[in-house]
Amino acid sequence: MCAIAAPEVFGSDEMGNAIVLIDGDIPAELQAKTRRAESNCPERAIVITD
Amino acid sequence: MTEVRKPVEDLLTDYDIFEPEFVKDPYPSFSEIRESKCPIARTERYEGSWLPTRYEDVVAIAQEYETFTSRGILVVPPFPGQGEGAYGGVTAPPITSDPPDHHWHRRLILPVFSPQSVAKFEQGTRDLCNKLIDEVIDKGTADAAADYAQHIPVRVIATLLGVPLEMESDFTAWVRAALENILDAEGRKWARKNIIEFFLAQVAERKQNPREDDFITELMNTEVEGKVVPIEYVLGVCNLMLVAGVDTTWSAIGSCMWHMAQHPEHRKQLRDNPELWPTAIEELLRMYAPVTMARIVDHDVEFQGCPMKAGDRVLMAFPAANRDPRQFENPDEVILDREHNRHVAFGSGIHRCAGSNLARLEVRVALQTWLERIPEFELVDKTDVTWAGGQVHGPRKCLVKF
Repeated sequence: MCAIAAPEVFGSDEMGNAIVLIDGDIPAELQAKTRRAESNCPERAIVITD
Repeated sequence: MTEVRKPVEDLLTDYDIFEPEFVKDPYPSFSEIRESKCPIARTERYEGSWLPTRYEDVVAIAQEYETFTSRGILVVPPFPGQGEGAYGGVTAPPITSDPPDHHWHRRLILPVFSPQSVAKFEQGTRDLCNKLIDEVIDKGTADAAADYAQHIPVRVIATLLGVPLEMESDFTAWVRAALENILDAEGRKWARKNIIEFFLAQVAERKQNPREDDFITELMNTEVEGKVVPIEYVLGVCNLMLVAGVDTTWSAIGSCMWHMAQHPEHRKQLRDNPELWPTAIEELLRMYAPVTMARIVDHDVEFQGCPMKAGDRVLMAFPAANRDPRQFENPDEVILDREHNRHVAFGSGIHRCAGSNLARLEVRVALQTWLERIPEFELVDKTDVTWAGGQVHGPRKCLVKF
């Protein structure tokens, strides 16, 4: 789900587990997409810290 | 088999998931239960079960795998003698597995379903959809369920498993007997026997002639803690892939086709805004989640005031959870660009559908291909659509004209 909402930020490893592709801060232009990924994660596994 | 069905007296204490109206459209019943004083209903039918209908409860049960085990995952009990005989131990790992075995049962199949792995099925699925459309396009009418949706996942799964595509109609018949006509114990027995014998023969053949780049061969040769995996595991995984990979996705595609046939505004919205496809697919999956799984209570427990006993069956009504207004605004409306959509069409927790990326791909490609070639179509007769229900919900006859 997160990789669908924000493919620049989330990807998956060879097991299909979600991974974060970006180190550190999320660039401003991707923040809206990242928030969308957070609010669509069915496992509530994404936490964005400001 | 003719059966006199006792009318449902009270949904909260006597629901019947196989009652014809419920099979056709369970959503009004889900809603009535969900908004009642007792959002977890109970029935004594089919040896008894509980039916949570709120999103929060369904997700909590899915997460608590120690209390709500996967010893039984079907919405009805096993048929008599199911676990007996030479291959009685064949289940459907990892969906029927509990920790600690669940971990390796699942780990071995995940790589096959990663987004990168399933992407290679996209072109083949598109070609298959085009071929199916070629067969109907000049007729001006088709059964969107039986002529189209039904043929897609079974061929994709057969390709993935490396088994003969010509056996499509056998696979479909077995899967329907295993999941749809689930009240017919003889049919289920027949399906199980056929599936196990078929995959036993496939395994035997690969022992003689191992194949390169072949799912079953690789599975057979996999070692866990220095030991090659048991044959029951190999047969069980193949059983799961076939049974869970076919009826479910086919039902989702069928429901989406049924929806699109009635919503020209959504067809147009997708035509004008192709960037909406990813969220549109999630929204359609939320709205038409095909699958209800079950859990077996491990020990006596009180859950949300319900006295659940060890051995009780709990139906994980994901379709009900996906329409909970506490979780989704305007839950009965398809909003293709819905902003917040934590739907549970694929379940939740450790048993979350392993094949979800493949299912998404199949649903998307099936809809895209149809809409590209047949952009305008409608139902022939709204009242003449038949549905399967219980474990898997979706249309089985859905005539459209164009």
